[in-house]
Amino acid sequence: MVTNGVRPNRRGFADYIDDRPGDGVFRVDRAIYNDPDVLEAEYRNIFEANWVFLCHEAHVRNPGDYFATHIGRQPVFVVRKPDGGLGCYLNACGHRGATLVTARTGNTKGFVCPYHGFCFDTAGKCTAVSAPKTGWTEAHFDMADYDLTPVARLDSYRGLVFGSLAADVPELRDHLGAATALIDIFVAPAPQELEIVAGFSIYQTACNWKIMHENGPDAYHAPVVHNNFAQAVNFREKRESRSGVARTDTGRLTGRIESASYDLGNGHTAFWHKRPNPEAFPIYAQKAELEKQFTPGRVEWILGRGRHMTIFPNLLLNDLASTHLRCYRPLSVDRMETMIWCIAPAGEPPELRAARLRKFEDFFLPSGMATPDDVAVAESAQKASFAFNSKWTSMGRGIDFKIDGPDAAARELGMAPRASSNSWDHEIAMQGVYRRWLQMMERGEEHRRG
Amino acid sequence: MAEPVSAAAVAEFLYREARLLDSRKFGEWLDLFCEDAVFWAPAVGMDGAHTTIPELSLNFIYIVGRAGLEARVFRVESGGSLASNPLPQTRHLVTNVTVDSDGPGEVAAFANTQVVAFCEARGQQILNGSYEYVLRKENGRLRIARKKILLLEYVIDGYFDFFTI
Repeated sequence: MVTNGVRPNRRGFADYIDDRPGDGVFRVDRAIYNDPDVLEAEYRNIFEANWVFLCHEAHVRNPGDYFATHIGRQPVFVVRKPDGGLGCYLNACGHRGATLVTARTGNTKGFVCPYHGFCFDTAGKCTAVSAPKTGWTEAHFDMADYDLTPVARLDSYRGLVFGSLAADVPELRDHLGAATALIDIFVAPAPQELEIVAGFSIYQTACNWKIMHENGPDAYHAPVVHNNFAQAVNFREKRESRSGVARTDTGRLTGRIESASYDLGNGHTAFWHKRPNPEAFPIYAQKAELEKQFTPGRVEWILGRGRHMTIFPNLLLNDLASTHLRCYRPLSVDRMETMIWCIAPAGEPPELRAARLRKFEDFFLPSGMATPDDVAVAESAQKASFAFNSKWTSMGRGIDFKIDGPDAAARELGMAPRASSNSWDHEIAMQGVYRRWLQMMERGEEHRRG
Repeated sequence: MAEPVSAAAVAEFLYREARLLDSRKFGEWLDLFCEDAVFWAPAVGMDGAHTTIPELSLNFIYIVGRAGLEARVFRVESGGSLASNPLPQTRHLVTNVTVDSDGPGEVAAFANTQVVAFCEARGQQILNGSYEYVLRKENGRLRIARKKILLLEYVIDGYFDFFTI
């Protein structure tokens, strides 16, 4: 018997989270990672009930450019309309529901369904059907009946395109909240627009999506899981006597460095760490330019700090090893799919672009020297989530060091996180993720019950 | 060794390379590569086509210089990489070997490949593709100046490394 997506022995989703900051406790019931009913409820209460990341505007730069993706379970595509605006529609023909857009990306004047040939323009209007006169009398034929279904909300912030299947959601800017200050920093270094570098990667991982979502704001694992990365890169650099931007800054993985982490509210997270070697990053070449444009505090944020953020529930942005955009979705309770791109300032000099890309390939991708170890750990955690007799996953680290509101660095940026902590290896940001998770799950179920 | 190299000799060389990988003799495998060797597995664009300009686009693996390959070997042998510990067992099936050109210093060759990998944690993984080699004639032996690996699959289940492609 399934009741409200919760196993009968649980009274509600609140039972999955043991949130007692006064006792120094924050724990998550590991069944949250393997209960198919939880995923069903996440689809309807999280992924299909609020803003999710769709693509970057650079993916759909020109009129007619389209990008096919998903919101939760539901296939959608984003398209640039002739007037320059964006549209986003369910990727199902208005007639018999064949997949309308079958390529991931492309450019077109309109869409022709591969099944019965119905035609649609980039505004989602049905513009032609095959042999209408012999199939319907005029009284029962209205082409508009077949128009594509648009998503309820579509908006973008600094090039990041988000959509929502639910209409009653806050403005995107309010949803992003404190995260906007950091997104601004991510975008600031580009003298022109940011572009998506040619090539991407897509990989599937045998774990619940939340295990990987937690891996993002988790810097605590890096010196353990990625020590072998640091050793391998240091071995290579010694062997090759590398210098300048060809070097990789592994200091973050091997020593104690100044850092901070943030619960940005709405389930969004961030952390930064001081860069031991800021000159190893392509952006360092713009130092003089940035110093003219911004305050010293802001320049320190851009040049001196490696930055990482997650936007609940499906976007990860970071500028640690390299500039990086990642989105993901659950495929089933124990399987997820990730898409990843390198993002860079358009017009970047080739030698800097090459250095950025090599750092990216070193670390990320299912063929890199670090991501495979993240995947292996995540998959092992998925297997161990069935250890029901040891049911709690602890995320209490740093709870006693939590600062309500911004720390000094956040204030410098005009960023208003819900909470800050003085180390990137604290778990307070993850607590924000699960508090948001619970809020959305409970709100959604209440709404469903009316 | 300016004389032409027979297709059989090229195939023999490729089989030996595959055998060194499968028997995890990574040190001997590295010895097959020139110091300035290129090891390149392009990624794909959103259209599924392989990227073509390795320096300025994203690759699965793009290593220029043998030290980068040595670092990869160092990592998987370090014992610290969970993804590589224990190392998956592999069998490289190298077929359809053809010699595309044979110059005074270098031979260009092509082969198809299927690599079956097994480890208990992830089960079986099969990756298919083709190899494009530039083999340099150096002191009476062939060495790899360039190995390009074009993978058929681009939606990757799990992860892969230099020895599973």
